[in-house]
Amino acid sequence: MSAPKLNVADVAGLARLSLTPDETIKFTAQLSQILAHMETLGQIPTGDVPEVVPPAQPILRKDIPTPSLSVEAALANAPAQSNDLILVPKIVE
Amino acid sequence: MSTSANWEAVIGLEVHVQLHTQTKMFCGCINQYGGAANSQVCPVCLGMPGSLPVPNEEAIRKTILTGLMFGCRIAPVARFDRKNYFYPDMPKNYQISQFEDPLCAGGTVGLDPFLFPKDLQDTDEAKAKRSIRLTRIHLEEDVAKSFHYEERSGIDFNRAGTPLMEIVSEADLRTPGEAFAFLGSLRQVLLSGNVSSADMEKGQMRCDVNVSVRPVGQKEFGTKVELKNLNSISGVRRALVYEIARQIAAVEKGEAIQHETRRWDDEAGATFTMRTKEKAHDYRYFPEPDLLPVRTDQGLRAAAETGLPELPAALQDRLMKENGVTAYQASVLAADRALCAYYEKAAAGTKHKAGVANWILNDFLATQPDPTTTPVRPEYFGELATLVAEGGINSAQAKKVFAELMANPSSPKALVEKLGLAQISDVGALEAFCDEAIAANPRSVEDYRSGKSNAINALKGFVMKKSQGKANPTQVDEILKAKLSA
Amino acid sequence: MSLAHETLASLRRRLSSKEIHSRDIVKDLLAEIGAREKTVHAFTHIDEKAALAAAEKADSSLPLGGIPIALKDNLNALGDPCTCSSKILEGYRAPYDATAVARLRHAGAIFLGRTNMDEFAMGSSTENSALGVTRNPWDPTRIPGGSSGGSAAAVAGRLAIAALGSDTGGSIRQPAALCGCVGLKPTYGRISRYGLVAFASSLDQIGPLTRTVEDSAILLSALAGHDPRDNTTDLRKPETFLSKPEGSVKGLRVGLPKEYFLPGMNAETEAAIRIASQWFEKNGATLVEVSLPHTPAAIAVYYILATAEASANLARFDGVRYGRRALDPKDLLDLYQRTRSEGFGPEVKRRIILGTFVLSQGYADAYYRKAQKVRGLLRQDFESAFTKCDLLLTPTSPEPAFPLGERTQDPLKMYLADVFTISTNLAGNGAISLPCGFTKSNLPIGLQLIGPRFGEEKMLQAAHAYEQSHDFWKRMPPV
Repeated sequence: MSAPKLNVADVAGLARLSLTPDETIKFTAQLSQILAHMETLGQIPTGDVPEVVPPAQPILRKDIPTPSLSVEAALANAPAQSNDLILVPKIVE
Repeated sequence: MSTSANWEAVIGLEVHVQLHTQTKMFCGCINQYGGAANSQVCPVCLGMPGSLPVPNEEAIRKTILTGLMFGCRIAPVARFDRKNYFYPDMPKNYQISQFEDPLCAGGTVGLDPFLFPKDLQDTDEAKAKRSIRLTRIHLEEDVAKSFHYEERSGIDFNRAGTPLMEIVSEADLRTPGEAFAFLGSLRQVLLSGNVSSADMEKGQMRCDVNVSVRPVGQKEFGTKVELKNLNSISGVRRALVYEIARQIAAVEKGEAIQHETRRWDDEAGATFTMRTKEKAHDYRYFPEPDLLPVRTDQGLRAAAETGLPELPAALQDRLMKENGVTAYQASVLAADRALCAYYEKAAAGTKHKAGVANWILNDFLATQPDPTTTPVRPEYFGELATLVAEGGINSAQAKKVFAELMANPSSPKALVEKLGLAQISDVGALEAFCDEAIAANPRSVEDYRSGKSNAINALKGFVMKKSQGKANPTQVDEILKAKLSA
Repeated sequence: MSLAHETLASLRRRLSSKEIHSRDIVKDLLAEIGAREKTVHAFTHIDEKAALAAAEKADSSLPLGGIPIALKDNLNALGDPCTCSSKILEGYRAPYDATAVARLRHAGAIFLGRTNMDEFAMGSSTENSALGVTRNPWDPTRIPGGSSGGSAAAVAGRLAIAALGSDTGGSIRQPAALCGCVGLKPTYGRISRYGLVAFASSLDQIGPLTRTVEDSAILLSALAGHDPRDNTTDLRKPETFLSKPEGSVKGLRVGLPKEYFLPGMNAETEAAIRIASQWFEKNGATLVEVSLPHTPAAIAVYYILATAEASANLARFDGVRYGRRALDPKDLLDLYQRTRSEGFGPEVKRRIILGTFVLSQGYADAYYRKAQKVRGLLRQDFESAFTKCDLLLTPTSPEPAFPLGERTQDPLKMYLADVFTISTNLAGNGAISLPCGFTKSNLPIGLQLIGPRFGEEKMLQAAHAYEQSHDFWKRMPPV
């Protein structure tokens, strides 16, 4: 496993985080160190690791309705709402 | 089809179908269209902190059933995966879907000739009865619904978490007509299994299209374009007609096709580039750790098999072979199971099954009945067809009976009595009429006896008038001829 | 003597015989809190009125009737805050009860206090809390451990009778060891995670922090059992743990994994564990050397898998449906980025970035999928070891509590301190930490017993026998 190209800003973007330039530098250093520690994994042979056998009985839910939250309870924590809809800045396709 | 002789289109479809279940995919909220905004939600489908999904057994069963109906391989062990991306209609900002181990793989959809657009039904394209391969069928959860205002959007999470089945076809389709037929044929099978109502215009079935063009004979695919915002089966056809022409025009000019997503605008009749995202989404799929893998070979598959209906193709075959209906009639019946059940009940009591089909599909259907609630009992059509075929009444009389049947539903035999329409087959009575006719029309008798065989028609007409249309025409014909040659 | 100093088991008996009332316990706890909480800061929220009101209505005929229990601030309790010690959940009020909370309520328990933690359970010192640090009751210049530092400090500091915590890589056991109380991480699948704000779904477990092993068994019995709302819970029939304490370890085979006893270990920790293992031998157990050969890879595997799952689990914190939202977002992207950047602390951001990276295109195979495979090998290590012994005995933490602020700039060093606890989460086994000694400077040292999966009964029996033969559990931190 060669040293990975960790572009902290790009990855942060995928996670919807925006970092300050300071944070970017700091995290790059810290995460590179952490990733270096993980290089050891590449040397461990994992050819025949058995698949975990799933349990015989799937534990599924019967198709029977259960009570929902009231509209008030559902929206009680919403930071912005109107007409029982949760509001966000306009979604542009 | 205005495909340039040198180019062919290569089309694949990705269809999302809303499953007909009582509850959502991963929680017990009800799965019903039209509820008051945010009244059908819970911590799970709202993505509240600490909530966990539990799969809906019926949704899985219906997906397996769908796979069986299309001849797919059902995975003995299926898994769920997280598909990660941020969007306000996604409560968890990941969707629980299936990536590596879907419930169904492979399978085929047969293109029913009668499900091609009407203007193409007589073409070789429709008659070819091609079989389109599927890649896979998997299960996932739907997203919430957004409403857009000037500066904001409002989100209703009622739809979030409802079960959605994704059906992906191979790039086997070659024409817009085939795509149209594919969707119709797909839908018909889904209806037959009671899996979904799959009405595109109601949003119960959504379709994205991938289309590219290539020179005929080339093995490699051209650059594909994804089309979105297709809201009806005919819209899919229109969009493809446009897009294929656009692509051909471009490549003939030597232009490269952009690998992009384009939005179909039905009003404008054209596709337009959507805001291009520079990078393809990195969904970072990984197995859903909150869900155990699902073993289908411990009862789920067997449960699905009990729900297997008679598939549309088999049903049509059987109706044509055993009931003598036409291919067209068989396709109409296969498309409407309630009507088909009505028809089969009607045809059960008589051997004149094709006749019953004519009455129901030509006459009855025009009155736009609801076969499940109509007061016109199916057996009445069996009776009516028998009456006509075995000489009880003639076809003109039958039309009168039918009209009365619609107005005052009751046994046709009784209606015939009531209307005084019983066809006269009694020889004595008919002989009397014929004697009358001969006596009253000496000229025609003369003509007939001197070789003008058509002169008998005037005599026949006289008998029919005198008998108020009730005389059995075949017998009248025999009796007159016998008397005239005596 | 203050009721705050008693065990749950003892209080239960006295409540049931009507010798005391629940309100007496609450009042004594509130007095202790009044005296020392300012220093320790174990809690993020205390609702005195609600606790006293609940105490009035308590039904002492129920198994936990009237017993006040503290909840780690990542467990949803209807109507209460659930901050996970993060700014991003400011103002959030739980619309439902976690199953664990509901089960405690059903057993008659009342709730007093929500405890401090590392933000979203990410940390080993409770220094990553956005709501202030918690201090070790034995030495307020030192960490209590993490991420359930508040729960451990409360129990050890006599500010709570018992508390619930959560353990993903040692977050119950390590603070229990550093604070000198008992911390149990059950087998994965024992206790429902429904309502526990998820950090790493395949590793998280809720568990009790208590004064004694018996108290721990009482709570485990009340909490364990299949939950239809959590697909990963086991279907085993419910049991009552430690209902007949045997008090003997005769015939027990105790495995000492050689990878957990390395040269250069903290000397006092090493000595305490050695003495403990000798106690087992003297009392009829056999010591067996075993090997868990993939142990050196455990930290890497853990920090790949846990952060990967966390990166997805924490994606829901976006300011849309609940919690804090950035003011005046100019568009959606701004809403997401600012809400999350303002709302999450640096450790959380670091782990989200790492987790996103190890799942990203081009890297997922080398990191995520590889780590999954090595996890399988770690699991095999444990299964194989348990063919040779009944329980594993190890230190819980490589060293006692270190000073506040010592490791905050060195995340990797902080991660490496999880080395003895992390593998059990990866393998899914249950484990318990209990006091086995003190350093010269009066800092607690913890002993860890690890059992085969679903082998809690044997583990609790052995732990109880050891505990009751020693006085460590009775020692209290200096006032």
